[in-house]
Amino acid sequence: MPDISVRIADIKFQNPFLLASGILDENGYTIRRILNEGAGGAVTKSIGAEERTGYIPPVVVPLDDGLLNAVGLPNPGIDGFANEMKISLEAGKPVIGSVFASNADEFIKLCRKMENYGAHAVELNLSCPHVKGFGSEVGSDPDLVEEIVNSLKSEIKIPVFAKLSPNVTDIIRIAEAAGKCDAFVLINTVRGMAIDIAARKPVLSNRVGGLSGHAVKPVGIRAVWDVFENFDKPIFGVGGIENVQDAVEYIMAGAGALQIGTAVYSHGRGIFSKISTELASYMEKEGFNSIEEMRGLAHR
Amino acid sequence: MKHSEVAEVVQASRSAVTIFFIDDTEILPGQFLMVWAPGVGEIPISLSHLGKMKGITVKPYGKTSSSLCGLEEGDLLYYRGPYGRPFTLDSGRRLIIGGGTGLASLYSVINGESTVISSARSSDELLFRGKFKCRNNIEVTDDGSAGIRGFPVDALKTIDPDLYSVAYVCGPEMMMYSVYNYLRNFNLNLQFSMERMMKCGIGICDSCSMGGYQLCRDGPTFFKDEIPELVEFGKSRTTESGRRYSMK
Ligand SMILES: Cc1cc2nc3c(=O)[nH]c(=O)nc-3n(C[C@H](O)[C@H](O)[C@H](O)COP(=O)(O)O)c2cc1C
Ligand code: FES
Repeated sequence: MPDISVRIADIKFQNPFLLASGILDENGYTIRRILNEGAGGAVTKSIGAEERTGYIPPVVVPLDDGLLNAVGLPNPGIDGFANEMKISLEAGKPVIGSVFASNADEFIKLCRKMENYGAHAVELNLSCPHVKGFGSEVGSDPDLVEEIVNSLKSEIKIPVFAKLSPNVTDIIRIAEAAGKCDAFVLINTVRGMAIDIAARKPVLSNRVGGLSGHAVKPVGIRAVWDVFENFDKPIFGVGGIENVQDAVEYIMAGAGALQIGTAVYSHGRGIFSKISTELASYMEKEGFNSIEEMRGLAHR
Repeated sequence: MKHSEVAEVVQASRSAVTIFFIDDTEILPGQFLMVWAPGVGEIPISLSHLGKMKGITVKPYGKTSSSLCGLEEGDLLYYRGPYGRPFTLDSGRRLIIGGGTGLASLYSVINGESTVISSARSSDELLFRGKFKCRNNIEVTDDGSAGIRGFPVDALKTIDPDLYSVAYVCGPEMMMYSVYNYLRNFNLNLQFSMERMMKCGIGICDSCSMGGYQLCRDGPTFFKDEIPELVEFGKSRTTESGRRYSMK
């Protein structure tokens, strides 16, 4: 049987499919269940310093080939998340703490707490497209990104992953700024909007949201491709993965592990065990023994 | 987002109204819609009336529900769905236990041989009074202004639950928790429609989860043997931000 486990920044994942940040990962019991049901690891909802209620619904617009969302980074604040981390870690699999902040000092405080909670790594949300002062507003400023990543690397022992936004002119420039991170996570959602023509109003209460799901896969593939060409660093591919072909496409573009978000809604929580089985049979059929053998194949 | 014209608005209690609209998609008992008041908000509401003429029953509570209660004949009702796992309709006698507007999601399950235990704070808040398909209705009010003073469990003590094959239950969580703890010792089947905040309705935001199950998708209806797995039921819940608090 081919080996579908992967090792990124010295963290071993039984399979390469992690739960992406912001999807069913605010409640510790849900994370624990998704890990027990077959995810290789989980990234938590992005957590900030203070409690935030997020936006008033509508926070999602289901589309034919994807999903538009603006949930507004609801989170209990880092202190309120301690117990959820504890419950999540009971599954005995890697849990990555996603955090958002507007400056380096705040990021350090959050990441220290995640480290104390037992997170196996932290993921910096430098890319949420719909909250003022955070996410992509921070992540599109190369100087700020550099300061954040560099100071974290000297303060934090656990690996630091940088999640970048596709909503920038030059993703390579931002990746360069985040160059000291232990892995890149590509991509967050693509900024978008929907209007209900009968109501003559934007549907999302925040008006602007982020597009995810199958529709954004080509955007993700291209980001992974470009970053793989320019950096020798592990990449988590995320954006529109819902079947084994999508997964292999990301791996051949250069991803060493993957994250799944929207497909958990379109295909149910069972997607993790299903896609893992499918990946193993695909590799067996094609004669691959490990994910590393497939990684970046399309570049050769 | 779908929309339908409001055909009629009927008072269901002193403050709750049933909004009727025509939609011939198949919707099953226990399922819900995410109903949108443009520019105000979106909330989950289960269907009280099924068939070609559908109905939702709403009580003004927050901004969105208050705005929906102001809809009039000819206005447009915006919604998406239906979502959620429907009730399984057991044959045999049905015991229907509804607290407050929770009774709305059970209304379409009531048949001629059912017994309805309806509860509310006071008599004028009792939903669908005198409009049940069955003759047996035990009313329960907190203040004793109608029927038994107390809670649905007090009504249950006046009957033999094992004369029924199944109980369908919906209402405030602590009421359901006490009903569950009472009824689980009997032989009848149980189907509970659970209630938690729902922001997305489609199993992506985690706001409605209990014990790792999404009420909007795995539920909202759950069977007797599934309820113990909902480890947060009656114990703790999370706020809009995801902050956990104890319900005790
Ligand atoms: C409802 C929703 C909430 C999200 N919240 C976050 C978040 O808090 N932090 C973050 O880094 N990404 C967040 N994302 C982005 C996802 O983690 C992922 O990058 C994106 O959805 C693309 O992957 P997918 O197509 O598999 O969903 C969110 C996405 C969705 C759909
Ligand atoms: S309401 Fe969002 S997961 Fe159920």
